Amino acid sequence: MIGKELIGKESESVVIKFIPELVRRFTEATGIPYSDQVPPTYVVTLALGGIPGIELPLPGMIHGEQKMTYLRPLYVGESLTSKRRIMDVYERTSKLGRVTFVVIKTSGYDLTGDLVFTSSSTLIAPERRVGE
Amino acid sequence: MKSLLNYQVSDRLPVRIWAPDHVQVRQYAEASGDFNPIHLDDDYARQAGLGGVIVHGMLTMAQMAAMLTDWIGKEGGLSKFNVRFEQMVRPGDTIKCSGSVLARAENTLVCDLEAHNHKQERVLSGLAHILIQR
Repeated sequence: MIGKELIGKESESVVIKFIPELVRRFTEATGIPYSDQVPPTYVVTLALGGIPGIELPLPGMIHGEQKMTYLRPLYVGESLTSKRRIMDVYERTSKLGRVTFVVIKTSGYDLTGDLVFTSSSTLIAPERRVGE
Repeated sequence: MKSLLNYQVSDRLPVRIWAPDHVQVRQYAEASGDFNPIHLDDDYARQAGLGGVIVHGMLTMAQMAAMLTDWIGKEGGLSKFNVRFEQMVRPGDTIKCSGSVLARAENTLVCDLEAHNHKQERVLSGLAHILIQR
């Protein structure tokens, strides 16, 4: 159940590692050229610290928007920490019916504590069906 | 190939044509860890009201990233990269990623991004800031 009460909930900090072999697999799956730099969208797939009270994404959720800001290049081989926070929850009527939007911000820090990237994901949960 | 420094407002970026299929979607699920059944299970996706499996939005965004990194090469880096997923992309579609220079400051190119499917529907719109290294 997703509601306004989730706004402000935060995950614990998780360590994310850019392991060369896994980055290479990601570049092969996407067609992004492999280099010493982490592919621009790769961090979004790793920064998945659990947020208490909610499991995201819920099955059936679709991705509406994705925004990334990079404060410096990220290199294969390095480790970061990241944290997720629910910024907003709201309902709208869309072509899929009554849907719930969840906006999650992810912040990534390097080992000296400097912010190195932020990500904002807008996820869309379909209408709850009878019986759910 | 012309240098990033020579790009001016309204210049078009080199395009990328992409034809996603079920094999790539499965490969992406494994590489990204996103096993949401709407991408992998046709019956599930139909029941969810999506009319069949859809390609991961992040895989479509990655095609835009591939277009940008191929273009930028070693001459710079992304500082901002925003996209909106406007239409679902499905295995079997042919997607054309394109972009143009919207604004140019000293060391930064601001680019407008778009992707269209073979039916000429816009599936993604976005914006990127590229920092040019001198």
